[in-house]
Amino acid sequence: MAPSSATSPAADRSGAQLSNTKTTVEFRAALVAMAIVALIPLGVSNPYWLGVLIVSMYFAILAGAWNLLAGYTGQFSLAPATFAMIGAYTTGLLNHYFGVAPLLGIVAAVVVSGLVGLLLGRAVLRLVGPYLALTTLSFAEIMRLVASNSIDITRGDLGLGVEGLMNSRVGWYYLFLGALVVLLILFYMLLRSKAGLFLQAIRDDEVAARRAGVNVVFWKTAAFAISAAASGFAGALYAHFAELVTPELGLIGQTGLIVSMTVIGGMGTLAGPLVAAFLVYVLSEWLRDVGGYQLVVFAALVIIFARFFREGLWGLARAAVKRRGRA
Amino acid sequence: MTLLSVRGVSKRFGGLVAVNNVSFDVAAGELVGLIGPNGSGKTTLLNILSGLADPDGGEILLDNVPCQGLTPERLAHRGVMRMFQLTRVFRRMNVIDNLLVAGRALGLGADEALARADALISELRLDVIRHLDAGQLSGGQMKLLEFGVCFMVPPRIALLDEPFAAVHPTMKEIMGDFIRSRHEKGQTFILVSHDMPVVVELCPRAVCMNAGAVVIDATTREVLNDPRVIEAYLGGQAA
Repeated sequence: MAPSSATSPAADRSGAQLSNTKTTVEFRAALVAMAIVALIPLGVSNPYWLGVLIVSMYFAILAGAWNLLAGYTGQFSLAPATFAMIGAYTTGLLNHYFGVAPLLGIVAAVVVSGLVGLLLGRAVLRLVGPYLALTTLSFAEIMRLVASNSIDITRGDLGLGVEGLMNSRVGWYYLFLGALVVLLILFYMLLRSKAGLFLQAIRDDEVAARRAGVNVVFWKTAAFAISAAASGFAGALYAHFAELVTPELGLIGQTGLIVSMTVIGGMGTLAGPLVAAFLVYVLSEWLRDVGGYQLVVFAALVIIFARFFREGLWGLARAAVKRRGRA
Repeated sequence: MTLLSVRGVSKRFGGLVAVNNVSFDVAAGELVGLIGPNGSGKTTLLNILSGLADPDGGEILLDNVPCQGLTPERLAHRGVMRMFQLTRVFRRMNVIDNLLVAGRALGLGADEALARADALISELRLDVIRHLDAGQLSGGQMKLLEFGVCFMVPPRIALLDEPFAAVHPTMKEIMGDFIRSRHEKGQTFILVSHDMPVVVELCPRAVCMNAGAVVIDATTREVLNDPRVIEAYLGGQAA
């Protein structure tokens, strides 16, 4: 059989576009969502609700970072909140004991949490599924207990006072939004590059990825380090917003929220977890009065989405758009 | 010129000797059929050759350089590409991206990888499904896709494990034509198959394994007429 004629450059280009269409559509949807979020302070001036939205953005960064690791690379770590705590303590301790400026402290937080992520990534390289989840959960609890019990250094559960960056809540709002958009753009660029291909290949079949020549050790470790660095960045930013760092930042309940946001939004989608971070955190504020029962609500939602809607809210939205297109 | 040399390679799983002191050479440009009944050690040998299992003994030389113990990714970069018996594709990635992974990982630029992926898609007649996720493909289409992945960057040697098993005759023909045309251009293959008519048609030479050991290494006609091979397949009834 004679091979068919070579495809034209035009066909190559269309192939390139279509190949990345999903990620680009998700990126644009996320940008539209962020644009809407940018308009909210024009109509909402209540400091409490602005604070809720700021914390939502903190969680959106954490959900995005965890999604890169779990949703795109298939490494189900249970330590995202721990890296936020590590970032917060890095800048907090530098500021509290050495008077290091917050901006420099935030940079240090990114580097330190990224390095710890890299080491953890190397340590758990060969673990998958429940073994990986349990090992990272143990790491998370150990780090939290160390922070909680090192009272002489961290002041334990009393919390460590740190310097703020500004007093304006609206200023903080746009700083977090800017950070979220910058990370969104970085993740998008990463996913459009060959790194994105390799991470998703590792998620789908590690053996097939190795057969295809992908350096699985490097890329798995890199995903851990990048995700940890982004989480550490969020934690550091939050430390200066709250002007207090406590071990509560690393509570497993915080990780539970991050997992809920990602699963409900759509694991392995760019826009879903970011949007779901706002929905879930605002819902958690509404449910504040019911205390621990809110966890039951989130757990039920996670089970329902994981069982029936694997692509989360993003998948549901996409299906609805498709249906409308056919009608 | 010898491209691949397998010398006294053995592999044990507990008390089972899966590969027993296997030796043979493959010259550059050869198409060698590796046959034998189920459980004869063919797939284990391919696992060793592709870096997925370490041999307990023996030596493997690629271009006269020892390569046993190298990881699959290192071997892929040295030109050893493996197709699995149980299909392995990236199920949540589309057909193009499945091909691009191998192209980009093996050093092609974005445009070149895309051009090669498009050419392979045309040659393997996967055009209609090019933007479908691999998980949505039929079993035969997945096999064809995995087959294509092996040739995104022409390998030094392609190790194909049962490419024709449970595949529609049309797709079998596409793969057969592809193998034949690449072989004519000098591509080296080891082809594992239970499909004897195809082995006879494609492979000038065959190696038959039984119980982990090489029974005979000769021309395919000689191998298939050898009483030891018939006995291995029919369990002694023909002896």
